[in-house]
Amino acid sequence: MPSSELRAIVGAGFFLEGDGLEAYRLDGKRPQAVLLPGDEAEVSKLLALAWEEDLGIVPWGGGCHQSIGYPPKRYDLALDIGRLNRLLAHEPADMTATAQAGIRMGDLQQQLGEHGQFLPLDVSMPERATLGGALATRLTGPLRCRYGTARDLILGVRVAHADGTITKGGAKVVKNATAYDVTKLYLGSHGTLGIILEATFRLYPLPEVERGWWLAAPDPATGQALANRILGSHLVPNRVELVGEVAGRACGVPGPGLIVSISGLPETVQGQWVDLERMAGEFATWPAEIRDAEGAWRRLSDFPWRNPGWDGRGIRALWRAGVPPADCAKASQAIREATPRGVVTAMAATVANGALRGVSRAETLGALVQSLAAAREALVSLGGYLVVMALPDAARDGIDVWGTPPEGLGVMQRLKAAFDPKGILNPGRFVGGI
Amino acid sequence: MSVVGFPFFIGTGFVMKGSGIAPEIRARLIQACERIVEAEGVVTDPEELRVYDCDAFTFLHRCPPDLVVLPTSTSQVAEVVRLCHKLGIPFLPRGAGTGLSGGATPLAGGVMIVLTRMTRILDLDLPNRSATVEAGCVNLWLTKAAERHGLFYAPDPASQPACTIGGNVGHNAGGPHCLKYGVTTNHVLGATVVFPDGEVLRLGGKVGDAPGYDLVGVFTGAEGTLGICTEVTVRLMPQPEAVKTILAVFRTIEEASNSVSGVIARGIIPVAMELIDRETIQAVEANVKAGYPLEAGAVLLIELDGPRAEIEAEAVSVAAICHRQGCLDVRVAQTEEERALLWKGRKEIAGSFSRIAHQYYLQDAVVPRTKLPQVFREIEAIGARYGIRIANVAHAGDGNVHPMICVDRNVPGCEERAMEAGSEVMRSCIQAGGTVTGEHGIGIEKREYLRLMYSPADLAVMHRVRSVFDPAGLCNPGKIFPVEDEPGAVGGSSQRGSAVSTP
Repeated sequence: MPSSELRAIVGAGFFLEGDGLEAYRLDGKRPQAVLLPGDEAEVSKLLALAWEEDLGIVPWGGGCHQSIGYPPKRYDLALDIGRLNRLLAHEPADMTATAQAGIRMGDLQQQLGEHGQFLPLDVSMPERATLGGALATRLTGPLRCRYGTARDLILGVRVAHADGTITKGGAKVVKNATAYDVTKLYLGSHGTLGIILEATFRLYPLPEVERGWWLAAPDPATGQALANRILGSHLVPNRVELVGEVAGRACGVPGPGLIVSISGLPETVQGQWVDLERMAGEFATWPAEIRDAEGAWRRLSDFPWRNPGWDGRGIRALWRAGVPPADCAKASQAIREATPRGVVTAMAATVANGALRGVSRAETLGALVQSLAAAREALVSLGGYLVVMALPDAARDGIDVWGTPPEGLGVMQRLKAAFDPKGILNPGRFVGGI
Repeated sequence: MSVVGFPFFIGTGFVMKGSGIAPEIRARLIQACERIVEAEGVVTDPEELRVYDCDAFTFLHRCPPDLVVLPTSTSQVAEVVRLCHKLGIPFLPRGAGTGLSGGATPLAGGVMIVLTRMTRILDLDLPNRSATVEAGCVNLWLTKAAERHGLFYAPDPASQPACTIGGNVGHNAGGPHCLKYGVTTNHVLGATVVFPDGEVLRLGGKVGDAPGYDLVGVFTGAEGTLGICTEVTVRLMPQPEAVKTILAVFRTIEEASNSVSGVIARGIIPVAMELIDRETIQAVEANVKAGYPLEAGAVLLIELDGPRAEIEAEAVSVAAICHRQGCLDVRVAQTEEERALLWKGRKEIAGSFSRIAHQYYLQDAVVPRTKLPQVFREIEAIGARYGIRIANVAHAGDGNVHPMICVDRNVPGCEERAMEAGSEVMRSCIQAGGTVTGEHGIGIEKREYLRLMYSPADLAVMHRVRSVFDPAGLCNPGKIFPVEDEPGAVGGSSQRGSAVSTP
């Protein structure tokens, strides 16, 4: 390891080795060193050196979602982007902004909020999670129901490649059909094709008011039917979440059902509420207003990453899953039925997109692994998938966290080989061992 | 005057005869294709082939394909592609040929795979609000089919009555209504793709966010250079409760474009915000009488949709913003007929122009919305400098300008001047922080402009993608990339280095 050269690039204070790297531990492994570059040029030099020396690098944002994926095959260095944390440009009248990838989502929203705008990416743990991490994992929150995902919001990126080359994709305008949309490749690629350094995105106005309601549903099927009714109607909800008993309580509502929020001007929200009430009536339920709406949104997007109010007992796994949107209730029913006795599962679904997320708790590793495998099987039979996002290291041998590779894996492997032929970027962590 | 743009093909009606595939190979190819798609699915007659010598971008270059194949299934497309791959013959897909940048124009012959016999709507999945269609399905047919169920398909390019969903995917098509709902890429959930070696893969689908690289995302807008999509799964949206269409009349284009910024800055996202300038108004009114005032310097056609109460409130704000800019009049369509007429004017622009100009060169660029006034001033100056009429229409809400550069082929040198003026317009848009195409794509038209936006290192990344999908470089070759940059000529590793692109 060329420690002195690496140290010379970032400066002694930003080159960490020896003790104190506990925070960067992944599956029992610690990197030999952690680098905290202060600008793009330093990132480029570090990567060029790592490329030359063939060192395995794990890109690091807030570190709060690093449990996702396989353990790294090689873990020589962690490249922490935390110092690249500036909002570079914000054009309120254009509703666009450009920020460095290491900016915490919470800080970003706060700065944009000063101009009454926000980036509607409600990833979990925004006080720690970085923009870069949110894009690399492409995790989504309930707000995607209205605003879409990173795919729809990101207009362009700057990316550092395995050999230190820095390139851009996309542009800083809201519409662009110029050559390949390579930006899409980096989103959700877990840093295996390049390290996102900077992103330009479209913004939305912070709503004047946002109100939320809990609509009790006796069973998931009723919740789904009501959700279908709402989503197929002219209402424009920000969130339509189907929550189970535990997830519901964790988010501050009394029990299972739908959580719906609508934003806009006070009078227009009132108008939509009247329609929501009527639709709920068709299903013999009623929208009960959520009093601490802000708190509920935070808990809802943090679910299942934060403790859903359980005591410390048992061992846990966090997962996300996808099914056709109209099958969320079927999926949650199937997961429940597949869950062996003694295992507790809490889940929530963003119905518009068929995106489920949840946490399973068991007394033994065996039961945990068995329940995840059974849940996955049930979802696959619905045409869906299940990705395990976090689980005890000891359980990793029992289950493939990514599941069956998607169609096109061969193309993905060739892309990886073309972008990072030495395999130094987050080696082995992604789908199919990419 | 130097031209940064086109180092070759500049000139009028450059027509090539074909690729010069050896006659005996062509004969073999025809025979094999006839076995795959039957004789009626193969076009070989030189006269008939001339129909396919360009798309709706009729400048610079034309060349008929060596033959046209019209398959009726994914497996037939795959078989034809495998055949071309085996013989090393270039091929390219074509939908309705309405593309505006030459993406479906053969560069030098080869096999053209035309998807207009694959037109079925395979699955209209109402509970999941999605549809799966064959690539040759016409955009408007899908829209009509969805409408019957209270849903709609958002991307609505002007060529909607003719263009195909497959072609829309190829060019990442937009349209007036994309301001609020996004362009094609925001609505494509999955695609069945015949890769350039003939392998068929089903990418993405109704179930979103499956782990893996976003292959659908990079395929969309790749202009048929990464493979041929044969089936597409798209998202459908519920129709809004109410729609309000407003015509705001301005003395100057400056006031109109300032109003656009004003509306956006206010946080209102209309479904469409179209700017039409004086020149265009005159042409449209002479043709269809849409009711645009002839004395106006520009009009904005603004459409709001959503919950009734919301758009009522937004309409009041929009009117106030326009009035603050000194607009002469704000008219709200009171009936469906009035609304249809206002839109008819917008949709008939192309037709109206062909009445006043022999031809026009339709440009496409995007600038930050706050830069619209500046860019319109520059376009006017460029027109004056070249002594050429440039009319302006724009999907102004997106900052997507469409200068229409009038060309009279009877005037010697006029086409060249038009192209040069177009090139300058592009450069001024880039300088304003913009991009060289918002929805028409690069095709053959804008290959050279890519360098204005992307560094060699940026382009090397794209080549890398191309080399993964199409290592033989047979799939729609010669498109998108600057000429000497053709993939195949460029190896992934030779492009590595520490070059840093300009932001």
